[in-house]
This record gives sequence, structure tokens and C-alpha cells, in this order.
Amino acid sequence: MKQIDARLREEAKRLLEAGEVEVVLAYGKGYDDRHPMPYAAKTPADTERIVFNEYCTHNMARYLMDYSPGTRIAIAVKGCDSRAVVVLIQEEKIRREDLVILGIPAAGMKDPRTDRVIDASTTSATPNPVLYDILLGGEATTSETSSYDVLGELEGMNGEERWAFWSEEMSRCIRCYACRKACPMCYCDPCFVDQAEPRWADKSPSLESNLMFHLTRFYHLAGRCIDCGECSRACPMEIPLYLFHKKVAKECEEMFGQAAGMSVEDKPVMVDFRVEDADEILL
Amino acid sequence: MEFEPKILGIACNWCTYTGADLAGTTRIQYPHNIRVARVMCSSRINPSFIFRAFELGADGVLVGGCHPGDCHYSTGNYYARRKLAVTKKILEFAGLEPERFRVEWISASEGIRYADIVKEFTEEIRALGPQTRLAVKRGVGA
Repeated sequence: MKQIDARLREEAKRLLEAGEVEVVLAYGKGYDDRHPMPYAAKTPADTERIVFNEYCTHNMARYLMDYSPGTRIAIAVKGCDSRAVVVLIQEEKIRREDLVILGIPAAGMKDPRTDRVIDASTTSATPNPVLYDILLGGEATTSETSSYDVLGELEGMNGEERWAFWSEEMSRCIRCYACRKACPMCYCDPCFVDQAEPRWADKSPSLESNLMFHLTRFYHLAGRCIDCGECSRACPMEIPLYLFHKKVAKECEEMFGQAAGMSVEDKPVMVDFRVEDADEILL
Repeated sequence: MEFEPKILGIACNWCTYTGADLAGTTRIQYPHNIRVARVMCSSRINPSFIFRAFELGADGVLVGGCHPGDCHYSTGNYYARRKLAVTKKILEFAGLEPERFRVEWISASEGIRYADIVKEFTEEIRALGPQTRLAVKRGVGA
């Protein structure tokens, strides 16, 4: 972690000094070590503020689309973040040639709120970046457990029990849209929920309108969610949204045979089809 | 009062809607519980249509499209198949009674089959009773 911290600063400084990039998206000092912040360094002097520690959970891919096409950007990515970058390239939202990707093998990241280690049993099944130009540190060992194991309990429930679980969780949503703001894939402008015509969902929180928002959001992330878990960590009500996203990702992988954001050559599953897709998937 | 299911049908213009037309012109009787909305292709269907229909009080949603391989636009229903499959999985995982949502491929010549499916689906929904989970509770006695 210490080594990555130093190398990240070093590489950021070098890239900015050489004029290879205009901005470095990384992590900056917060008010204490537990709360680093997303940070955009624009001058070599700015890089002094860059840090990396186990609480740097933010997915910096979220900020890539804030820059106009053609801006040269260096971005620090952990495993899942790199998959988010891949999905954005697949969707032609950003261009590979505009990016210098600083890969961080990230094992042992911690949730700043609970101090729990983030691993395959929660979110972030991919500790090593799948796409990078420079790897800052040795590759982390990948976990043996499937990232879908955590779904076991919910999958074992019957419909009634699952409804009891989700209706309780969803009724707590205050519609602050922090999940949407934290998500690298939620870039629609305007978001369907902000549209007045047609009005897809009521604006004020209620179980029904919350479900309308979240179910649609789960669908919109089908085959795109890269399991970074930032939505759940951003949620002030601590709703485990990642469980639902994970389930949809699992179904997509099983039905269509492809996980999100693993290769820039792939086509996202929801804008693709195979004639052999079985009709059974509809039953 | 006896429960009369309210069912939203979403039918593609080229196959299922024409099939429904055939059922009508051949004077086949089927339940009036279904209200059919016509779309140009089953891939036009945004899954939010289905969530929204349930929110506005539909007891069931029946989606009809061309048989795979017979799409008027060649490939539309292949995309629809993936979208609707994911929609079904989402309803299932949320515990929202996925049996209230059904997809059928009905061609323009299958008027009788269309009527049979509507009959069968209406009876299934009748047996399930009113859909209350997603429906917005409004008004007197809500």
C-alpha cells in the first residue's frame, strides 16, 4: 500500500511534467486518513496531495466523462474501476487513446464506514486491473471464492421472503440519488427519473416510486455493472444495492455467457444477441 | 364484488397485433380483461413500461412478439428476448410475482392461439388475485 502510494505520486508527477496528460484522476488527502477524496491533479505541484491507502474505494471512472473528448487523462484504477473504464470504451463514451491507465492491484481495501475488508465475499471480485498501461505494484492474488456466493441466502428464500426483504430495504430509500452519482455507468442526462414527460416515477419517496427507480436502474445496469459496490457505500441509508446488481450480473453472465467489462473487444450483452439464445430464458 | 383482472397487453404490430385482429375478425370470444397497446416491434418495449404498468395497477402484463426468426425487422425480437428475460429475473429477485408477467411469440396467423393464451393468462391472474405489491395505493379505502 505504501509502495503504491509513492509510485502513484511519482507517475502522476512524471506524466504531468512531461505533458503527456492534462489531468491525473486519483485520490487526494481528505480531512483524515480514513476519508481520502476523489482528486484531479492538473499541475506537477498538485501531485503532492495525491494519496493512496486502503480507504480509497472511490471509482474514479465516474469522472472520465466530465472531460471533453480529446483531453489526455491519466486515471488511477483498481480492478473493478478498470472494468468500468472498459465498459465506457465499449460504449464509445471515452477513447482508449486519450487515456493513460495507472493500474493498482488492490487487495485488502476497506469500507471507511465499517472497516470491513472489501473482497469477493462482498463486492470487487477483481483485485487486479484488466486493462492498464502502467501497473503500480505486484499483482494481487485472486480469491478462490466466487463473487456470487454472497447471494446464496437471498436466492434460497422464496418469493414472499424476498419481497419482505426488498420492500423493507426499498422503503428506506430517501431518493438522494447518491447511488446514481457514485456509479460510473450512470451517465444519462437527463436520468429517466428526472424526466417530466414522460414521468416514469413519482419524485417523492414511497415504496412504489422507490421501486420504480431502483428496478429500472437495476435493469439499466444489466450487463454493465462491474461490481465496484460504490452505490452501496455511497448510500446514506445503507441499502445493500450491490446484492441486486450482483444478481442481475450473475443472470446475465449465465444467460449470455459474458461478464461486464472484461475486454474492450466485447460487445455489451444488452445490445447484442445470439440466434441460439434459448427461449427458456423467458420462462 | 368479484375480482376482474386488469391485464395490459403489449403487442407487436406485425405479428401479435395482427393475430389479435384475426381472432376478432374470425369472431373468436376471449376475455375482455386484456387492454392491448400496439408497438411497432417487441424490442420497442422498455422494461420500465412493465414496471410502470404494475405501479399503475395492472394485475398482469402479457407481451406478444413475432416468433424468433420471423421478426419484421429481422432481429428485433432477438434483442427483445434478452431484455425481457432480464426483466423477468429482476421481478423474480425482487419477489414481485414473476408469474404476472408473460411473454409469448404469436404470429399473425395464430388468432386462435392468441385467444387461448389470453383466456389462460386471465384465469391464472384471476387465481392469483389483485396485484398489490407494486401498485400505488390511492384514494378511498386504499
